[in-house]
Amino acid sequence: MKKIYFFALFPLSFIFSPLVYAHHSGAMFDGGSVVEVTGKVKEFQYTNPHSWLLVDVTNEDGSVTTWGFEAEGPSTLMRAGIRKSALPPGTAITIRGNPMKDGRSAAAWIDAMVDGETINPRNGFAVIPASE
Amino acid sequence: MRSHKELMNFRFFFFVISAFSLFLPATSLWAQDAFSWQDKDDNWLAKKAALQSFGEQFASSMDLYQALEQAADGGESLDWDDMANAPYDWSGIYTRTGGGLSFDPDIRGNEMTAQLTSAGAATRQRKIDQIDSTGGEYDPISDCRPPGFPRWATEPFLHEFIVTPEQTWLVNEMVNDVRRVYTDGRDHTLPEDAYASANGDTIGFWHDDMLITHTMYLYSGQYQRGTQPDYSDQVEVVERWRKVNGNTLEADYWVFDPVNLSQPWYSRQSWTELANEDNFLRIRYWDCQENQNNDIIEREDGTSQFPDFDFIENDAEVSNDEAVR
Repeated sequence: MKKIYFFALFPLSFIFSPLVYAHHSGAMFDGGSVVEVTGKVKEFQYTNPHSWLLVDVTNEDGSVTTWGFEAEGPSTLMRAGIRKSALPPGTAITIRGNPMKDGRSAAAWIDAMVDGETINPRNGFAVIPASE
Repeated sequence: MRSHKELMNFRFFFFVISAFSLFLPATSLWAQDAFSWQDKDDNWLAKKAALQSFGEQFASSMDLYQALEQAADGGESLDWDDMANAPYDWSGIYTRTGGGLSFDPDIRGNEMTAQLTSAGAATRQRKIDQIDSTGGEYDPISDCRPPGFPRWATEPFLHEFIVTPEQTWLVNEMVNDVRRVYTDGRDHTLPEDAYASANGDTIGFWHDDMLITHTMYLYSGQYQRGTQPDYSDQVEVVERWRKVNGNTLEADYWVFDPVNLSQPWYSRQSWTELANEDNFLRIRYWDCQENQNNDIIEREDGTSQFPDFDFIENDAEVSNDEAVR
């Protein structure tokens, strides 16, 4: 199941936000809209410089589309509390992202809902200091 | 009786002397203060202005470095026993404390504290125009080239800092990026033998608990993408590092670049040690080629694009982007 909705976001806030810092600019994503899909985790590519969560989504006609959601690399995901074991294949998930502008089934991962819990990969740049 | 002209001359002379007498103690005070560490506190903006003015007194980065070296009586040598002392224990996993993508962490968005030359301002304007016209840009690190120094200071990923008596290593996990600061008394590579590199050549010395460094022989680059300026291959940097409390490292940065900066650009950089009770945060090898989905190409309009996802069989057919097709 797929939904797309749009936000009147200030476009530069997407480009400069440290929450979406990446080894590439965010030019390929539409920061003013959000896609939401519900499906099952196919694969969690826990890699540098970016991780990709692949989600199989069953369409109304029974066909399956694989969506890819880009997030930061392993260390930043760990800082967000998202370990590789958190999303094994087959996990039921509802996930949101800023979709690609070119129509392909990929997006910049915003957040997700798994077992009633919200997962937010963009929390990975939060600075939680060690005790002095 | 004095003529009007004499009176005006006297008034002018009195004004100049008065102004100078006010200015001289202020600059002397700031100059003296700038040789010692300045804590960030409620008076930070005034201190920062003084540290900026301090840098502007020097014609070159090497003049500033040598003045700091002279103030340290040539600098001190550390031995392994010193490593047990808190000021030199920089162990732990750190990240940039804040500042987003601004080289000067105190500013945001379009704000700019660098005093740019006309060439530097024009280059920055071209970057802004590119984003305004296309909605994006192509960052040179998209193909996993190193960010280079001084951009190194702005990268938001994990860092480690390793102090030894003869070298200090400043590690950014991104693309396995290590800066080595030689503190064994050596000089820079001789000019006739020098060659440019992403992180250049860095020498340094200790003054009490402060590590002062000088870096040169660098590639040109940008302080960050977006509205941040560029720097030329003539850029040189003086840093003054200090562990200011149990979990924070800070560093004064004075950047000199005759092409893009009309005055040295001062900023205070900061890194915070992260909580890591379960020891899950570790710095591992950063391989940019390990996932095909992270390949990036530059589009004709100067923005970036993914050419070929491994989870889509027919990218060229389903994409509406000519660059992919």
